[in-house]
Amino acid sequence: MLMAIQDTTREQPQAAPQTRNSSHGGSPSAAPARSRLLLVGVNHETAPIGVRERIAIPTSRLAEATRKLVEQPGVREAMIVSTCNRVELLTVHDPASASEELAATERVMRFFDEFFQVSQAELKAHIYERQEQEAVNHLFRVASSLDSMVVGDAQILGQVKHAWNVAREVGAIHSAEASDPPAQAGAAHASSVLDPLLQRAFFVAKRVRTETQVGSSNVSVASVAAELARNIFGSLAGKTILMVGAGKMSELTARHLIQQGANTLLVSNRTEARAEKIADGLRTPAITTGIIPFNQLHEQAHRADIILTSTGAAALGGGAIFTPANARAMQQRRKNRPVFFIDIAVPRDVSPDVNKVDGCFVYDIDDLQEVAVANQENRSREAAAAESIVKAEVEAYRERLSLAPAAEAIKQLLADADATRQQELAKLTHRLAGQPLSPEQLATIESAMKAFAAKLLHPQIAALKAAQKQRGE
Amino acid sequence: MSLLWLRVAVLLYGVAALAVLPAALYNRPRWRHVAVPCAVAAVFFHFVAIVETLYAAHRALPVDAHESASWFGLLLAIAFLGLAQRYHTVSFGIVLLPLSVLLTIVPAFKPGTETLSYPLIQQGWLFLHVALLLAAYAALLLSLIANVLYLIQERRLKQKRPGKGRSWLPPLETTDQIALQSLLFGLPCMTAGLLIGSVVALQTIGPSFFEDPKVLLSVAMWLAYMLMIFIRRHSGLRGRRAIYLSSFVFVVVLAVWAANQLSTVHRFKTP
Repeated sequence: MLMAIQDTTREQPQAAPQTRNSSHGGSPSAAPARSRLLLVGVNHETAPIGVRERIAIPTSRLAEATRKLVEQPGVREAMIVSTCNRVELLTVHDPASASEELAATERVMRFFDEFFQVSQAELKAHIYERQEQEAVNHLFRVASSLDSMVVGDAQILGQVKHAWNVAREVGAIHSAEASDPPAQAGAAHASSVLDPLLQRAFFVAKRVRTETQVGSSNVSVASVAAELARNIFGSLAGKTILMVGAGKMSELTARHLIQQGANTLLVSNRTEARAEKIADGLRTPAITTGIIPFNQLHEQAHRADIILTSTGAAALGGGAIFTPANARAMQQRRKNRPVFFIDIAVPRDVSPDVNKVDGCFVYDIDDLQEVAVANQENRSREAAAAESIVKAEVEAYRERLSLAPAAEAIKQLLADADATRQQELAKLTHRLAGQPLSPEQLATIESAMKAFAAKLLHPQIAALKAAQKQRGE
Repeated sequence: MSLLWLRVAVLLYGVAALAVLPAALYNRPRWRHVAVPCAVAAVFFHFVAIVETLYAAHRALPVDAHESASWFGLLLAIAFLGLAQRYHTVSFGIVLLPLSVLLTIVPAFKPGTETLSYPLIQQGWLFLHVALLLAAYAALLLSLIANVLYLIQERRLKQKRPGKGRSWLPPLETTDQIALQSLLFGLPCMTAGLLIGSVVALQTIGPSFFEDPKVLLSVAMWLAYMLMIFIRRHSGLRGRRAIYLSSFVFVVVLAVWAANQLSTVHRFKTP
């Protein structure tokens, strides 16, 4: 079975021989005995953050790391994807220099040792390895965000694209422009395997995005809050956010809202200096910031379209900061324009009854999390459809790849036939020099010869394709 | 021939009305690319059908309820396209396009047989009178629909059930804008339409036209319309109360429409 390669994680060393056999069983390329495409890495499932942070590569060092990796003997192409949840090294090994399959892995492991000073023994329990079709499948899943901690997370595709760009810039991936990807990927002398593979991965990711809803709903509290704000206000351009209290979560949410276009930020805190600090932290050239003294909060709260509270004042015996009476007074001043309360404090800062006031929408932390969970479930349902797309694309890629050697042979066969046809045509023209043919007659003869050659070669071409396919399977 | 174009328009409205469902409810952009072009084509054929009808009959205004309904359907479809272009929402098509189908299907398959030999039937002013008032009615209906959608979206958000995936409803502020802008568009149309009608009636019928029930109701309708805009702008009326107010004015409009049966002025009889 071609490329039916098992997951050869280090925790399952017994799987290695099987992998080797599978690989021998029929790689479609001109290096049938060797597994040329290798992916080695750790992710949020296999390694705790303590391990991941030791081998995480900052963006500023990605080019250097990629260069070092491709400089390893026998590594023809390389790319490194490094995010907070994964570090993966995708390499193509020169079949000529691969004396044995494990050598490829050893080379990559040596890189970990050299670049991070992390020994193989330390990584052994956390690392996973994918080869050939499994590596393709893994890459397609990663790019489509099906292997992410938050399924459907859009960031990963950008991170993979960044890694690809860096690898191309440092020459670790050769450009495959104007080439037929499968043919390149399949031929032994191919200039690039990774470039067409990555382009295919981006295509698959795009397909997954457009054909499923896997990334359509937000799953973090901050992004859910921003989405709800958009449901109320449409564009957030020109909207004013009022942050009441401080906290990492409220700052993160404020950042999300600002990214969506909100351009005025007011901060109110019991400690004015703290309010100043928060405002400074979120200030950008496009944002107008201001401080509202805490004792004037109710008089000025009507200026805000989105009120983000996180004081937990009720815990101090102060009761809710915003009551229905406050909200009604605010709404009078706002002429009933909608206002969105995002209450992430525990205990709550906004009385639940404020939600009953016309034009006031109150979402506390539980409400936001409930929406996030519902969206996550929705994504999981969509992920099943996305997995089918990836599976089909991996299969299609494998098939095209497996036909590549046949394509080379067919190309050669057609070229030979064409050369013979031209020779015969030249002879014929020479023989009939005394009675030259008209251009129309010549064209008719040429066309007939082409048709004859095509018909003659058709069984051979079909047989070549069938044989290659059979070998592939 | 005009009937053929009208039937083609009905068919295209039907396709657009069906395509808009997945486009709006399930956020499927491909269906949007079916709904909008179909609606554009339908509006084109509908317009051609109306022009041909008027040209063939040598007149400038609809003469029966079927034709008026057809004109109204065209205006609603134009409103849908305007919203799709201006606010990038096709949600209103869920209501507007089926309405266009319903309003056009009867004149397309069972055209009115009423003929009219009224002397002013070719006058451009009367055309303006009818067209502007129909536009004002369409604007009012649009405002009412926007208010209903506002209410649905408001309830959905208040009940904290934003639902699975993205909402098919436009954001609250967008819906509110549409409701208000429709009213503001409708006001000059209604004012100008009524003024033109009054001047024409005054010249041809004399001061007695003001005793006509339809004319009286039309003035009441205009006052209600003005009042509604005033309240909305002054107090920022939205949601449930805005629906009540719009519904009240809409009932007045329906009464004005129905008053045709009692009107001598609009049945073109000598008073």
